[in-house]
Amino acid sequence: MLSRRSFLAMSGAVITAPSWATLTQQDAGKKLYASAYSLNKQEHFFGLFDEKGDIAWNVQLLDRAHAPVVHPSQSIVGIVARRPGFFIDFFNVSTHQRITRIEPIKEHHFYGHALFTTDGKHLITQENHYPSGQGKIFVRDWPSGQVIQSFNSNGIGPHESVLLNDQVLVIANGGLMTHPDEDRKILNLDTMKPNVTYLNLKDGSILNQSANSDDLHQLSIRHLDVNQQGIVALGFQYQGEMWDQVPLVALSRLDQLELEYLPIPEEVRVRFKQYCGSVCFDSSGEILAISTPRGGLVAYWHVSSKTFLGVENCRDVCGLVATDNAHEFLLTSGIGSQLKSNPVQNVSKELKKHTTLHWDNHLRQINT
Amino acid sequence: MKHFPKLIALAISASAPMLTFAGQWEGPLNGIVTNVVKQGYESYSKSSKTLQQNTKALCASPSKETLHDAQDAFQTNALDWQQVQWLNFGPVTYFMRYYAFEYWPDKKGVTQRQLRALAQGDPAVMDAPKFWTSASIAVRGLTAIESLLYHPDFEPIQSAEHCRLLEKVTAHHLESADAVAKQWQNGTAQDWVFDEEGTGFDPEKVALELFLQQWIEHMSAVKDAKLETPIGYNSRENLKLAEFYRSDLSLRAIQKNLQSYREIYHAGSPSLYEIAKQKNPELAEQFEVQLTQNIKLALQLPSDFFHANHTQEERIALAKPLVKSISNSQSYLASMVTQLGFQIGFNSRDGD
Repeated sequence: MLSRRSFLAMSGAVITAPSWATLTQQDAGKKLYASAYSLNKQEHFFGLFDEKGDIAWNVQLLDRAHAPVVHPSQSIVGIVARRPGFFIDFFNVSTHQRITRIEPIKEHHFYGHALFTTDGKHLITQENHYPSGQGKIFVRDWPSGQVIQSFNSNGIGPHESVLLNDQVLVIANGGLMTHPDEDRKILNLDTMKPNVTYLNLKDGSILNQSANSDDLHQLSIRHLDVNQQGIVALGFQYQGEMWDQVPLVALSRLDQLELEYLPIPEEVRVRFKQYCGSVCFDSSGEILAISTPRGGLVAYWHVSSKTFLGVENCRDVCGLVATDNAHEFLLTSGIGSQLKSNPVQNVSKELKKHTTLHWDNHLRQINT
Repeated sequence: MKHFPKLIALAISASAPMLTFAGQWEGPLNGIVTNVVKQGYESYSKSSKTLQQNTKALCASPSKETLHDAQDAFQTNALDWQQVQWLNFGPVTYFMRYYAFEYWPDKKGVTQRQLRALAQGDPAVMDAPKFWTSASIAVRGLTAIESLLYHPDFEPIQSAEHCRLLEKVTAHHLESADAVAKQWQNGTAQDWVFDEEGTGFDPEKVALELFLQQWIEHMSAVKDAKLETPIGYNSRENLKLAEFYRSDLSLRAIQKNLQSYREIYHAGSPSLYEIAKQKNPELAEQFEVQLTQNIKLALQLPSDFFHANHTQEERIALAKPLVKSISNSQSYLASMVTQLGFQIGFNSRDGD
């Protein structure tokens, strides 16, 4: 619990954080991208880089982190600890000051992802109540972090979630039951049952829920994104055998019960090694990109026609965001590459390669 | 002496920081491909041919002797596979060949179930042109052949159906092994890496990086899946989880794997060992000593190590030095690879 003094100090720090527009006003239209990165097994950072790929801001972290969280208006960024995670650190970009650390409530841990509501007044976290294994969604007041609403995620292992609109949260319940005492050991491999849940944020009711068929119960639904048409794309991580021929990417909608698997040529599907990293629509919502660090590629689809478009080869790639240009994505990799790729025009360009650092799993764009 | 200039270059750079230059990794990559992979698949293809011929002879004249000959041929072939098993890369990735060569561990007995169904069905089905390209990997390779030769449910001497099935599987297995061997003879490792956007793309380095990643992963599999898991090193014992336990090859398979590791390390001119010695002589030597120690410790295990006549405690005690030795090898290899400038799977080996 925060003391009144520390609450006031923190609130003051948040209030003084300028807007993104103010921060970048001398360079209007400047784009920034946020990602964790590591230099080696001991030195970990959270950084922002610009369109040239140059690191514009960074802070050192005590441990490797997972996904960034970007405040929609103020120049505040957060980074969520890796699963099982016990903190989210938030920073004022203008001062480098750590504004606050939000921790899970007792007997819970984070999953590596979190998000702000569009008005920036609330932070939504996905958590594991590890004594029961039940997935939880907490709506927290920003910046205090106080839990103001608590919902059942209606599944186990709510890894990532996205807002369909202000009222509906789409949750990827990955299905993996774990306990922090046993790190990431999967405790329910034989019974796991992942799902995607459309949760009404007003009352916690389920608006829709879809799952894979029983024979695909080990197909963990892990990452997701939503486009302007309300189409949700899902990237899977299969916990079964490497040789099983399973679908790895699907589409879902609020008004559709069944998941719709996207086609992948078998020679490409095999390269995925049963593992999708990040899931991302382009700015037009027409193109879907899925990264697979194990396969060393990003695969692309035209969404409305469900056409597989091809791949961009990039070793150890995982970070993926849409740029402001239609059909264009920015990719980051564990070997330090930053790459722009447009699968419609079939062009790609390396922005920079930081040979001494490893970009971590997830990348976010900052809309200044 | 063909590679003399490269050795000179290495010697010159010994006191300076290691700089990347084109062709730097040609020596170890070509050495591993030629001496370990190509030769390994050539042997594997040849012993697959002998296996196919011996099963044909068994079915033509079923007897204990011909069965024994077929089993002998199987054992040679399964051990040849251990030489190349560490590398799931290149031609073996086509048509799921890697997983078809050995469907293991088969925890649910899928192979036996599917073989029984095939044995009871119309054998002509297996002659259909595309049967084997769409057949389950569980019935396409060594795991299926081992079942047909050793599992009590199958009687190739008494049952013509079982023997016919064995002939079909071994013929397909030979075809696959032969295809991989031929593809390696006619191609290079660089053919199997994907070109990437960006400067400084070095296909030799990328191919070698993939080799090293596979080696690291295989070393983990030998320690964990082949050794620790069946003997219940960290949990419950289940000797049936040992690799090729029906044909009693579990220990010999591990020994063969560990022998192939030294070959990988020393293949080529310069070899990885020679390059590593320039970079960090102490580490290079530690790894060398550890690889040799692995071989010795595996050979010291009793030949009945995976048999039921030891208690779990005895088996764990016997395995402990080897487990520790392989574990040290893993650490040395990981350090060496990093120091040589390879980046092995920051995201791909540790994501979420």
